[in-house]
Amino acid sequence: MRTALVLLLLLAAASVVGSLIPQHGVADPRIAAMELDHPLRYDIYEALGFFDVYGSVWFTLIYGLLLVSLVACLFPRTRALLRSIRSRPQPVHELDGFRHYAEREVAADPARAIARARKVLRRRFFRVSKTNGATRALAAEKGIAREAGSLIFHWSFFLILIGIALGKGTGFAGNAVIVEGETWTEAHANYDGNIVEGRFFNEAHTGLQLDVRDFQVTYREDGSAEDFVTRGEVTVPGNRAEPVEISVNHPAAVGGVKLYQFGFGWAPIVEVRDGSELIASRPVPFSQLASPPGADPRALPWNGVVRLPSLRPQVGIELSLWPDSSALVQFLETGESSPMLRPVDPVMTYVVYRGALRLKSVETSNELDKSALQVWKRGAVGLGGSEEIGNGLTISFPELREYTVLHVSRDRGVMIMLVAAVLVLAGLVAALYSSRRKLWVQAEPVETGTVLKVGGFALQRRMQFEEEFSRLVDELAGGSEKRAGIR
Amino acid sequence: MTIDQWTSVSRAAFTAALVAYLVSMLLYFHFLAFRRKTVWKVAIALASIGLVSHILAVVARGMAAERVPWGNMYEYSSLLALLVVAGYLFIVELRYRVHTLGGFVLGFAILTMAVAAMFFYRGPAPLVPALNSYWIKIHVVAAITGSALFALGSGVFTPLYLWQSRRERRRDERLRAEAAELGAKSPAPIMGGSLDDDPPGYEAGADEPAAGPSRHGLLPPAEVLDRLAYRTIAFAFPIWTFAVIAGAIWAERAWGRYWGWDPKETWSFITWVVFAGYLHARATAGWKGRKAAVVALVGFASLLVTYYVVNIWVVGLHSYKGF
Ligand code: HEM
Repeated sequence: MRTALVLLLLLAAASVVGSLIPQHGVADPRIAAMELDHPLRYDIYEALGFFDVYGSVWFTLIYGLLLVSLVACLFPRTRALLRSIRSRPQPVHELDGFRHYAEREVAADPARAIARARKVLRRRFFRVSKTNGATRALAAEKGIAREAGSLIFHWSFFLILIGIALGKGTGFAGNAVIVEGETWTEAHANYDGNIVEGRFFNEAHTGLQLDVRDFQVTYREDGSAEDFVTRGEVTVPGNRAEPVEISVNHPAAVGGVKLYQFGFGWAPIVEVRDGSELIASRPVPFSQLASPPGADPRALPWNGVVRLPSLRPQVGIELSLWPDSSALVQFLETGESSPMLRPVDPVMTYVVYRGALRLKSVETSNELDKSALQVWKRGAVGLGGSEEIGNGLTISFPELREYTVLHVSRDRGVMIMLVAAVLVLAGLVAALYSSRRKLWVQAEPVETGTVLKVGGFALQRRMQFEEEFSRLVDELAGGSEKRAGIR
Repeated sequence: MTIDQWTSVSRAAFTAALVAYLVSMLLYFHFLAFRRKTVWKVAIALASIGLVSHILAVVARGMAAERVPWGNMYEYSSLLALLVVAGYLFIVELRYRVHTLGGFVLGFAILTMAVAAMFFYRGPAPLVPALNSYWIKIHVVAAITGSALFALGSGVFTPLYLWQSRRERRRDERLRAEAAELGAKSPAPIMGGSLDDDPPGYEAGADEPAAGPSRHGLLPPAEVLDRLAYRTIAFAFPIWTFAVIAGAIWAERAWGRYWGWDPKETWSFITWVVFAGYLHARATAGWKGRKAAVVALVGFASLLVTYYVVNIWVVGLHSYKGF
């Protein structure tokens, strides 16, 4: 017990470390900032696994030891419980030494009185001693659920471990960005690098195809989002297309993966022409900068970039989207941006850069690397309009679409976790809300019938047992006879 | 009624409850010191009136926001204080018949409500979409109930226990010293007791209003306080466990993962582990009594971090929670 206690407190202390230091997958930008600002501290933390506490060697060691100590303590307890389930309570001789003791006279003869007591106690879910020969005494007990519950609770932790290992080990999770009207295929490359795959994941992505027909956000009067819904068709390879609807709190389960509504954004279609040749034409998923503390995140401007590496010199365009020109004017005059909720009469402002783009192999960032770029032109283009940039280049904004962000994951351990959770809870309730009670009854013949002697005690909740005991004594001494009399 | 009318009903009832609790608290302390039965009766009546008004405040708030009244820190805190008071009246007063602790409990509730009204007040507003699920409603109610009971056990009864047990130890030492001076045998040390033992000599009603200040000083005996703390925490533990599970189920449905070690999840886990540590300590030789109580205090600190620090300062998916 002492080992378990110390390990539990250690587990708590280790978790505190994880909550104070930014963790991979939760606060990556803060880790990156630390790498720049405090390289020494970063190196130390990195070496100690402080950026991934819950997956680190020492955290695993703590709960590993906890589970080892758990096994060591559960085996003997389980064996003892099974033994006590198989055996029955044993009658004793002296009853008046127990904490609770009472005597009552009844009219029935001893054998009948004991038989009745047996029935009464059975009805109240007591386990009663065997009859063999003993017609004048019995022993009864209740509350084995306490120990059984505690054991179920503790054993469930192994089920949890299995659920985690199976689910995370063979599963994956990532985000898919899909513009309205486009079809997305579930495959490693299509997650834009933001996918986590389990150690035992065998690269068998499902290849299912999701054709997003429509994405809708409903807003309340105050401009906050009430709900967002993605509608479309999904095709599992080898099957027919089926309609699908995904909204917040209502994921879709298809072909072994689950699709969750995660986020959304604007994706204007941007076309660039070099003379009459169309050199770029695609929806550009815009994003918002991380919101500064205290700012209303909805009011931040939406930004996107278009890169044109085929031109000499190379050209990059930064774009910002505004719901209408008055919002743009307001921003230019006061620096305050207004929420881009509904496209009223949308306008994009652009800044065109010339120079070298310094592309990486996979370029998903919504920011240009400006180290080798110079500003060339600035301007604005409205929905349906076109603007000349210069040198024969024109930019146009034919259509505004939305994109949806879906969280896609496969976790085969979820059902196991759910079963484990139910067992944990049932075990705890049994262990903490029940109490063990023992009771003995003896019948001694007297001239007028029988004297019933009842003794007993409770291991927990003694105050409540006091009432229960006197109720039981009344019942054993013929509560039902009285009831029969009334009838 | 309109939203504005419901809002002002809610605020007025909240203030009325606060005032009733305040007066009741003072009367409870008076009763603790002087044991006048009438004072206790008035105190408990005022606390009950306050509770009814408080319930009205919460219901009216729900009517004003047109949703369940637990959607932001102000509402959580109000409901938490309500459950602390209700828990005290129903469990401690009615069931355990310990009547002297009302002042401390009400003090705690008043503090929670005052902090809520001063720092967290927000007009009624709808929930963000992710919170619009019945799992979150269940999760939050369970979390608040668990928090209220943990707070009662570890934040009110445990410090009182530690204080009282130190007094008793000092008194025992003094008695032993006096006895040694007289050359007599030293009195037997107070029995340790198993996990859930009744203290020797303590029976229902030993702390009845009529029974003036006992030899233990003003508070109930340390063992009664210890047992009260244990019972409350042991009762809260499965509720908290359920809250964590319901939260995980909701996270699975809303975000596609049942556990992500975000700050809220991490701290509710820490709180859970520390209180599991307390339950273990109560059953571990050499850890019963004061050492176990210190673990409970750590649990209370962790609960405060989970509740205030994480909700207010730390960013995570949970900070959608409307703060
Ligand atoms: C994985 C983390 C653990 C948690 C969350 C946990 C939680 C609990 C809880 C809540 C109880 C109280 C239930 C009751 O009173 O029956 C308990 C009791 C107990 N635990 Fe654990 N436990 C853990 C690990 C362990 C380990 C590793 C051991 C073995 C060394 C252990 C041994 C015991 C024993 C013997 C009891 C019975 C105490 C009693 O009822 O007298 N636990 N545990």
